[in-house]
Amino acid sequence: MNQFVQIVVGGLLQGGVFAIIALGISLVYRVTGIVNLAQGGFCILGALLLYSLQLDLGWPTALAFLAAVILTAAFGVALGAATFVPALARLPTSSMLMLTAGLLTFIGGLTLIVWGSQPYIVPPFSGEQPIDVAGILVPSQGPWIAVVAIIIIGGIWYLIARTDIGTALIASAENPTAARFMGVNVARLTLFSFGLAAAIGAVSGAVVAPIMSLQFDAGGFFTNAGFIAVALGGMASLPGAIAGGLFLGVAEQLAAGYVSSLFANGLALALLLVTLLWRPQGFFGGSRRRRDVRDEQRVYRSVVRFSGRGTVVAAAVLVVFLAALPYLVGGALLSSLVITLILFIAVLGLDVAMGYAGQVSLGQSGFMALGGYAAAILATNYDVAPLLGAAAGMIVSLFAALLLSVVTMRLQGAYLALATLTFSLLIDSLTVGLVDVTGGPSGLVGIPSLALGPLSLGTPRAMYFFVLALIVLLIAALAGGMRSSFGRALYAIRADQTAAAALGINVPRYKVAAFAISAVLASLSGSLYAFDFHFLSPEMVSTPRSFEMIAMLIVGGEGTLIGGLPGAALITLLPTVFQPLALYKTLAEGAILVLAFQYLPDGLLGGARQLGRWAMAR
Amino acid sequence: MLEIDGLHAGYGEIEVLRGVDLVVNAGEIVALIGANGAGKSTLAKTLAGLLPTRLGRISFEGKPIEQVGAPQRIALGMAHVPEGRQIVGGLSVRDNLRLGAYAQRHRLAQREIAQRISAVCQQFPALDHRLGEPAGNLSGGQQQMLAIARAMMAQPRLLVLDEPSLGLAPTLVAGIFRMIVGLRNRGIAILLSEQNARMSLAIADRAYVMEMGRITLQGTGKELLDSSDVAGRYLGVGQKIAASATDERRMRLARGLKEILHG
Repeated sequence: MNQFVQIVVGGLLQGGVFAIIALGISLVYRVTGIVNLAQGGFCILGALLLYSLQLDLGWPTALAFLAAVILTAAFGVALGAATFVPALARLPTSSMLMLTAGLLTFIGGLTLIVWGSQPYIVPPFSGEQPIDVAGILVPSQGPWIAVVAIIIIGGIWYLIARTDIGTALIASAENPTAARFMGVNVARLTLFSFGLAAAIGAVSGAVVAPIMSLQFDAGGFFTNAGFIAVALGGMASLPGAIAGGLFLGVAEQLAAGYVSSLFANGLALALLLVTLLWRPQGFFGGSRRRRDVRDEQRVYRSVVRFSGRGTVVAAAVLVVFLAALPYLVGGALLSSLVITLILFIAVLGLDVAMGYAGQVSLGQSGFMALGGYAAAILATNYDVAPLLGAAAGMIVSLFAALLLSVVTMRLQGAYLALATLTFSLLIDSLTVGLVDVTGGPSGLVGIPSLALGPLSLGTPRAMYFFVLALIVLLIAALAGGMRSSFGRALYAIRADQTAAAALGINVPRYKVAAFAISAVLASLSGSLYAFDFHFLSPEMVSTPRSFEMIAMLIVGGEGTLIGGLPGAALITLLPTVFQPLALYKTLAEGAILVLAFQYLPDGLLGGARQLGRWAMAR
Repeated sequence: MLEIDGLHAGYGEIEVLRGVDLVVNAGEIVALIGANGAGKSTLAKTLAGLLPTRLGRISFEGKPIEQVGAPQRIALGMAHVPEGRQIVGGLSVRDNLRLGAYAQRHRLAQREIAQRISAVCQQFPALDHRLGEPAGNLSGGQQQMLAIARAMMAQPRLLVLDEPSLGLAPTLVAGIFRMIVGLRNRGIAILLSEQNARMSLAIADRAYVMEMGRITLQGTGKELLDSSDVAGRYLGVGQKIAASATDERRMRLARGLKEILHG
């Protein structure tokens, strides 16, 4: 009993922090309808600023805390004014989600440059000695977390429910046009909420800093926890964010205490998937349906299309160029090119789901892991031929995709992204946790090379040609499919699901089909990846990979099939070409993603095309 | 009261308003009629300060306001009832009304806002006992009344209404129009842009016809109502049009169709 109470208290404390992060996410969601994935970045920034001010500069804790929050808020306002707010008027919700993912990466890269990759530990605010409350030991940081959580919750509630600013915030969220006509400066209020969320993030990061070790990439952990908490409780509901956060904290601690800490996270994720299936709007979502006015108002850009004889010639030139590449380069660069092509296969799948059907999927890394581990385990432990192993992986992924579709079928926008993200995170915790099967964090070794019957593809050059041939076949097949009624149906769904359904398109079936294609291609890519490296560890196919793939697709150009290639090449080759700049890789990735969204919404291909037209017009 | 002189405005590369001249005097209802896409709503947005004035002048009570921001224009005494009502469904009726006074919130004490709410509730009794309900629960006609009541919260001297009859049953439209006349009788100047030409011309003191971003006709409400030009284009089969005019109308219809088909 005592132990149980002890665990629950620990869970409530952790949950309190989750709840504060969730409040920040919920606040921005209420005002903009966008899930701000950068929230976790502000947490880690606040915590690391507290560390530096307190321990490097020797400021007293209270002053350092205050300064860290103010600095983070100022940074948040600047970042919001430069990226988030101007983009809000131009980008659809799914792109905004990825823009904030780019911001998260960007902040992570920035902290990596300033603070390096080592972990930091901040001392508790009031000594190490735990407090004994009737036999229950509460960590000394506990009361601080509780007090800060209550102050923030109360403050936000007062702002939203009791002030004119709060009313205007809700009006801006629900009906920006009406708000503008009433003299509400919607852009300024949006920036205000973004900056306030950054400040809240800094507070939560700083207050939790003493009970966890801080690293530049911990922002993803904070964001995931907050995101899941918000989704559990109901995106736009403030009580929901709090309840979701506390529930998540307690559930995770109980799972860690009574089952295994390796599965604590997995359990929370499974819980979320069940919640999404049972009540997509969350515990507190209520029956009031939020009409997403913004989405209706937003104009979807036309997707770059290639057609005509010029395309055929260009494609032939491209294939010849790609086929000649292995004779021009070698060594590390050729190996990177092989990886580029392998990753491109998964991006190709993502393009079908996201570029054509408009279904944002963050599940690619999960399917890569399924394909990679299935093929690797079969080939290594059971001597199954590599290609057969890859095929088995594709079948497993297909079934997983169909199963996941039961949850995702009814979801759109942020909730769809969330469900697929949950899937990837769940697979992450399985690949790490199932040590007997996957080898755990240290990974699987001794995976054989790919072989076509007796012909082994052990050299990078052989692998390169094989993958290239595979890609040419895939693109030919997909290009045909996308020009048929199938592709047009997907495109109609992207533009307007309701209208597509009214035209007699069986929307769920096409969505599932697009999702299945993307899953199978990701699985294939994962298998090839494992055979190419002869090694597979969880982090090679973990969730950040999903975000990276979206970045590749966006940078290259959605809905073009071929667009993922320059995108994948850019993001894969940059670190190889600029080895000494590895420190800046994360920052560059984030910056590239954000800049691509802001200035090249049609990607590199679309940009090149526009440049071409502009030159022709001169 | 409101003087618009050679106004140009639009979106991106598209110029919608191409030299609009229009005057609203104190205490009159001015109707602005025109087909879809003539630029009526663009004019409303430009007047509200949501679209920049590209060329030309707008002055309100003698003061130039082209450079004045949207909230300040409301504070000066010009309020808006946007097209499609644009109430905030998730907020209560009371909060929607409070939003109407948002631009003046720094000058108004809570007590004054409460007074204004009870004042508009006297004018719009249907809202009175539903103040706590989400505005989304109101019927279409009640939502339109809320939109007008919300604009009245700013205590404007000029009210700009954009298509208040949109999507309402004819009996409800008549009620709304009676209300507009009532507001005028209390001294509030009204700029009413409408596709429902017959009813708006009937209550208007003066009226303008807008086509392709320009004012093409103007006169008193009665003059335009009697004009065969307006009748043919905006009133459909008018009661004043003799059988002999039918041929002319048919030709005009054909010309109009041709214009639409061939750009």
